[in-house]
Amino acid sequence: MTQNQTNLLQGTLDMMILKSLALAEMHGLGIARRIEQITKGTFQVKPGSLFPALHRMEEEGWLTSAWGESENNRRAKYYKLTSAGRRQLESETKRWGRISLAIARALETS
Amino acid sequence: MGLLTRLASLSRNLIARKRVERELDDEVRSYEQLLADEKIRNGMSALEARRQARIELGGIEQVKEQVRDIRAGAWFGSLLQDLRYASRMLRKGPAFTVTAVLTLALGIGANTAIFTLLNAIMLRALPVRDPQQLVLLQWHAHKAPAFDEYSSFNDCATSGPGEENPWGCSFSSPMFDTIHQQTSVFDGTLAFAGPLPLNVSGNGSASMATGEIVSGDYFNVLGVRAALGRMIGPADDVVTAASVVVLRYGYWQEAFGGSPSAIGRTVRLNGVPFTIVGVAEPGFISLTPGKTQDMWLTRSIFPRVGFREGWSRVGDAGNAWLAVVARLKPGISATQAQAAVGLLFRNELGHGSTPLVDPTSDPSIVLLPAQSGLTGDRREYENPLHALMIAVCIILLATCANVAGLLLARSTSRRREIAVRLALGGPRMRVVRQLLTESILLSVLGGLVGVLVAFWGVHAITMLVSSDSLQRFNFAMTPDASVLTFTAAVSIVCGILFGLTPALVGTRIDLAPTLKENAACDDNPSARTPGFSLSSALVVVQIALAVVILTGAGLLIRTLQNLKNINPGFDSRNILLFSLDPALTGYETARIQNLYRELQSQFAALPGVISASYSSSALLAGDLSNGKITIEGQPDPREPYDVDQLSIASNFFDTMRIPIVAGRVFDAAEVAGNSRPAASPPPDTAKPSPFSTPTPLPVVINDAFVRRYFSKRNPLGMHLNRGNTTQSKTGTTDGKPRSRYWEIVGVVADTKYNELRREIRPTVYLPINGGGANFEVRTAVDPALMIPEIRAIIARADSNLPISRIRTESQEISHDLFQERLIARLSSFFGLLALLLACIGVYGLLSYDVARRSREFGIRRALGADVSAVLSLVIRRGIVLSVTGTMIGGATAIAGTRYLESLLYGVHAGDSSTLAAVVALLTIVVLAACYIPARRATRVDPMVALRHQ
Repeated sequence: MTQNQTNLLQGTLDMMILKSLALAEMHGLGIARRIEQITKGTFQVKPGSLFPALHRMEEEGWLTSAWGESENNRRAKYYKLTSAGRRQLESETKRWGRISLAIARALETS
Repeated sequence: MGLLTRLASLSRNLIARKRVERELDDEVRSYEQLLADEKIRNGMSALEARRQARIELGGIEQVKEQVRDIRAGAWFGSLLQDLRYASRMLRKGPAFTVTAVLTLALGIGANTAIFTLLNAIMLRALPVRDPQQLVLLQWHAHKAPAFDEYSSFNDCATSGPGEENPWGCSFSSPMFDTIHQQTSVFDGTLAFAGPLPLNVSGNGSASMATGEIVSGDYFNVLGVRAALGRMIGPADDVVTAASVVVLRYGYWQEAFGGSPSAIGRTVRLNGVPFTIVGVAEPGFISLTPGKTQDMWLTRSIFPRVGFREGWSRVGDAGNAWLAVVARLKPGISATQAQAAVGLLFRNELGHGSTPLVDPTSDPSIVLLPAQSGLTGDRREYENPLHALMIAVCIILLATCANVAGLLLARSTSRRREIAVRLALGGPRMRVVRQLLTESILLSVLGGLVGVLVAFWGVHAITMLVSSDSLQRFNFAMTPDASVLTFTAAVSIVCGILFGLTPALVGTRIDLAPTLKENAACDDNPSARTPGFSLSSALVVVQIALAVVILTGAGLLIRTLQNLKNINPGFDSRNILLFSLDPALTGYETARIQNLYRELQSQFAALPGVISASYSSSALLAGDLSNGKITIEGQPDPREPYDVDQLSIASNFFDTMRIPIVAGRVFDAAEVAGNSRPAASPPPDTAKPSPFSTPTPLPVVINDAFVRRYFSKRNPLGMHLNRGNTTQSKTGTTDGKPRSRYWEIVGVVADTKYNELRREIRPTVYLPINGGGANFEVRTAVDPALMIPEIRAIIARADSNLPISRIRTESQEISHDLFQERLIARLSSFFGLLALLLACIGVYGLLSYDVARRSREFGIRRALGADVSAVLSLVIRRGIVLSVTGTMIGGATAIAGTRYLESLLYGVHAGDSSTLAAVVALLTIVVLAACYIPARRATRVDPMVALRHQ
């Protein structure tokens, strides 16, 4: 994802992060790779966007973090969804669905 | 939920900053590490992998900074950063910092000092429970109710004599009782009057004290507690109650040494034994601000204290003397209560055996908030205080202009640093914010030092006020939270005020030229023109403000001079004054007369005494008595006339050296002979009855009386008839003249009566007949030397007779002028301060100018310009500044000093000679301030200047 699109899609980034943590807890790099994976390479999150988003969402109460050990026994900070985070993911998913439906309809008619 | 976690994060971010920072650092580094591992797994070499990882990361510090920016509490972090940077910059330029802080301290400190005074005198809440619920009752009517006696004690504002639609706040005792029973709108009512003089004996030698008369509920309703013993309660306000008294805390300390044994002791007040039952809490001096009294006793008990005849009928409906304050019930509005009480008032006045009003005069009650209604002594200080407040505000503005000028000069020298910051991408607002933080930090420091300045200032002013021994300053000057809040607010506002413009101007720079090293670019193009840059404007403002304050000070000084130069009409040197009130010790009129005559002849016999006399009040002591008279044989629709009255002994004019213009003065025999009370009613002016012609009392009038009422006839032998007498300011009456029928036997020259400012009015001098008297003793030596012998004579006559208010006539006059002296002194101080600020401003600006243009001066000298040419360059700038400043200042002064008109005497607000003098002074001072920079300009060595980079 190039820099000049970051502002518009900040909410989308949040949703991606929440989605990628829905199944398992991961560290920062892992989250970035997972997002790449599930969007089939469309979204490539740079650390300059990732870290602020992670910390912001943690302060909002959607994520919690804890230090742990990665593969290779390196120390890394792992993030996990909270129940508030799961609720946020649900509502964001619904909202995004509504928006994309509306846009699709609009593009059809014109 | 989000808010709670946000708050938790905020507190964690602020408190555990180091830990949070370390974690962030670890996290970002671990990301980099994991990225490198990933690349190694994909086959890169370890070195290459780490390099690639770093590039992809984009820079650890940048990532960390981005995280920091979105963190909760990010603004606080950057504020701290600003503060740290600001304090570092201030430390780097100590000369500038110290100058600015001291200047600000003076400006802010002066404001805080005057505000402390203002707070103590005008704003402080009444020292009682829930003062905002208390209301003062004030009556209004189209015509004054026909009270037999009306007394007021400077508790509230009253309408002047003869004013239309009069109003006042004194009520009769029965009226208060009616209101007191009205419990539907009030939670409690209280009445009070005083202070009244009391002769206290039984505690050491006899002394004079003051007492306040209160209703039984006074302390309950106000919520004032006892420090010792008990307070007066409703049970003490019945006619059968025991004689008890409660002391003021300070009086208990002074007169009883603060000893607990005072409770239960018996003292004699005017000869009547009273038991002391309690001492009030230390914080409570009086309900009305600025007043004080030594003890409290109740309404019902007070008639026992044997006051003279005028006070014996205090329970009458026709005698209004009590002030009434009530506590509004919660939920009741003032209008409701006003209507209810107004009805009671109308009923009480309109009915009864002799109605005191007719319905057309529409009497009503207005309820004023007690806080503002009880003016007490506040009114005296109101005008001077407001004038002082304005003066210090002007000083503050000048201070801000001064420091803003300093900051502007400084920001010019920091242009390169600012340019670098802007060039590196710092948003302009961020840089402005940082500069503003510096200004606010400066002014907060100035405010802190200013508090010290204020302490000293308040102390100095209180000393000045107390130096007038005749004036008791009864306002508590304790430090207050509101004063500190005021200082803090003023500091911050100041900081923004003087910091904003330099910050905005300082960041508006052309980046490219500034970043180059060339020293020629240090010249600010706009300042080279002789037009007006911002710094010049600031200096002009300071000069203008100095002109305004100095003009005000000049007018006030001239007022003081004019007042000092007034000829009071008598010889005021070497006169000793003191008061006696034998009625309080139980003397009746005849005995008082004898006592006075006896004392007078003994005083006159003392070596060192030229003559002695006595009168109902001393001249220029502030006491005034006036009354209404009609002139027989000269009917006039404007009668009765209001004239001043003074009761005197026969040799009064001789002692005071007031020349007699015509006729004679009544002599001692006439004064003595007329001591029987008048039995007959005042004669009908048209036809005196032949059966009971009372002997007219001989009186003397002054020149003003003759000029006013006897322009065509000889006044000697004419008869006057007396109307009502109004009470003097202190609430005592002179012994009532025995007869209402007077004959003019002499005319004397005009003299001032109660104060220097008041014009001389038609005055009638009557023979004194008992009552309290003030003695005047003219001495050949310093009057203070005669005091012990005079005390001895009085003690020999009666050891129970206290002597009060010992002072000299000169002291009395000095006291009369006290306020004018105080305000003249203070405003001169502020004027000089403003002058100093303007001086520093001019000096600073020109010095900086010269330093900046030293290269230019060097070149000029090298090209052949002589010394005077360079001098004139600098001085011309100074002249332009001073002329502009004085012109603007002069115009403002003419417009603004109109506000001072009420304080002036003998000079008007637009007085041109004062203004001219001030303008001349300022021009000289500004030119003097130009001198040193100008000299420095001429000393610039051309060779050094040319090589200067």
